[in-house]
Amino acid sequence: MVNLILNENMKLYRRWRTWIMVAVMIAAVLIGSIVEWYYDNKDAQNGIAWQEQLKQEKQHNEKMVSDPEMDEESRQWFQEQITLANYRLEHNIRPESGTMWDGINGSAELVILITLFTVIVAGDSLAGEFTTGTIKLLLIRPASRLKILVSKYISMLMFGLLLLIILFIVSVLVNGLIYRFADMDLPLVTVDSAGEIVQRNMVANLWQTYLLNGVATIIFVTMAFMISSAFRSSAMAIGFSIFALFAGSIIVELFQAYKWSKYVLFANIDLSQYLAGRPYQEGMTLSFSITVLVVYFIVFNLVSWLVFTRRDVAS
Amino acid sequence: MTGEPIVSIRNVTKKVGRATIIDNLSFDVPQGEIFGFLGPNGAGKTTTIRMMVGLMSITKGEIKIKGKNISSEFEQAIRHVGAIVENPEMYKFLSGYHNLIHYARMIPGITKERIHEVVSLVRLENRIHDKVKKYSLGMRQRLGVAQALLHRPSLLILDEPTNGLDPAGIRELRDYLRFLTRTEGITVIVSSHLLSEMELMCDRVAVLNKGKLIDVKLIQDFIGSDHAAQNYLIEALPAEHALAAIRDIDGVKDAKPVPEGIEVVTERDRIPDILARLVRMNIQIYGVRAQRQSLEDRFLEMTGGEQIG
Ligand SMILES: Nc1ncnc2c1ncn2[C@@H]1O[C@H](COP(=O)(O)OP(=O)(O)O)[C@@H](O)[C@H]1O
Ligand SMILES: [Mg+2]
Repeated sequence: MVNLILNENMKLYRRWRTWIMVAVMIAAVLIGSIVEWYYDNKDAQNGIAWQEQLKQEKQHNEKMVSDPEMDEESRQWFQEQITLANYRLEHNIRPESGTMWDGINGSAELVILITLFTVIVAGDSLAGEFTTGTIKLLLIRPASRLKILVSKYISMLMFGLLLLIILFIVSVLVNGLIYRFADMDLPLVTVDSAGEIVQRNMVANLWQTYLLNGVATIIFVTMAFMISSAFRSSAMAIGFSIFALFAGSIIVELFQAYKWSKYVLFANIDLSQYLAGRPYQEGMTLSFSITVLVVYFIVFNLVSWLVFTRRDVAS
Repeated sequence: MTGEPIVSIRNVTKKVGRATIIDNLSFDVPQGEIFGFLGPNGAGKTTTIRMMVGLMSITKGEIKIKGKNISSEFEQAIRHVGAIVENPEMYKFLSGYHNLIHYARMIPGITKERIHEVVSLVRLENRIHDKVKKYSLGMRQRLGVAQALLHRPSLLILDEPTNGLDPAGIRELRDYLRFLTRTEGITVIVSSHLLSEMELMCDRVAVLNKGKLIDVKLIQDFIGSDHAAQNYLIEALPAEHALAAIRDIDGVKDAKPVPEGIEVVTERDRIPDILARLVRMNIQIYGVRAQRQSLEDRFLEMTGGEQIG
């Protein structure tokens, strides 16, 4: 099994395509961080210390809260901002903007690139062997088809994890160097749903974001893998998965009014909806979404396995 | 035929949808021979090979390799097999060497030395670290043979190995396969749609047509009637006397009456003597004709009119 994974990794990392993806990833982090830094720098040139700026914002927020026209939801948001500002001023904890963390947290959005690249690799991994015909020489060895399938799957997930680690290291290094690692131990301060202040470690929070997004990556990769195994066409696997990646959440918005739509994959794939406290439909819970995702995950893998191990190789 | 057959095919049928591609095939491949699958395009050679190596499922019947069932004991059965199915497709973006590493990792016990050994066996030492996409067709074939021999298989299966080879290449391949059967005791199965190639390479041939087995024959039996003995048609009167006389002559293998005269199976050398005797016995000879039967005719006869090569 280890040898099979080594083989899959060899086929992955001895290709230009893979390293181009890694390079694009790094470039995206660099560009994103530098743009962020450029605009933060412009703001900072006004010469106002963060305390001053926060006080100004607080005054503005207080005005909004006392506005009688304001709806309840917005009023609550402004109230939270005021609570936060008070806490920051009192404990001398500055906001992330204007520190290395702003760029690092912003880079976490690039997990979508990781999903994209891993889906491309996964969609091609099986189907590509069918189109080039290499599948024949691969399958006439004393290794079961299941083992070959699993080794490919593991190698894909490892590739996703590698990109994630690269994302973390590069974004921390670049933003750290830009800001000379100032405010490295800055904690994350948020208000929870009960209106209480929560103070958390910034790195722990970052990895939580990564992993929540990583759930979506795993589901999309598994889907690409299934299509790759069922239709033996890289183009179809990659095309359909990327379409689902970008259009899935939009499509599911259209059906929000229907009760059944909460069982659709895309209604559950973004787990951060529960962190934000705004689920797709009233009454959905984190454990509901996890259950739905697990069911899809199992079905996708089952289909890949059944199709790949039973069907004739006639290419 | 010595000992157990290395491959035993029993009542194998393959259906795809409603079409029966392989129809109740049964034969054995004896150990240590070069065994040919011969048949026109679409005869079912590749399909049979795909079933033998587990790429296709078997609808009915069973295939055993060294006594192991390829369907139920796949890993034990395939361990003894090295194969190229249709074209030797390798990873083009990898070097020849890394391709071999790839396959070596899939079977326990293949050392770096063994890899070097097969590389020099197929004479690719100078180019083995080049990417496969830079290889010529012949080099890819050789790399294909290298990957098939890597794990010292007892059975080597090559599907249409002569495709794209010139006559010199075919002769070289034949010598090489002979070398393998002699020195390593390997059994080789080759498929081809060209009778002339089979004749050069094989000890025994299974003739397939339209998914059915037509015959399995030693190659010398297959072509024997053409070189050694031949059919002649002799028109002579009185016919009964002539027939009795001809049957008594040395070197006549067979003689039987046909509407046009008497069909005689004998060697060409014997013809003058036969005629001299008939003349001496006052039998009147009106004509002698050689009924040349070419390899292709034999094949047409066997497969029932299907054109070949
Ligand atoms: N996957 C398949 N589905 C349907 N028909 C097939 C399939 N593979 C092969 N055939 C048919 O089976 C027959 C045998 O093909 P094949 O084994 O490739 O012949 P050969 O190798 O002797 O030229 C052909 O008529 C071909 O069209
Ligand atoms: Mg063929």
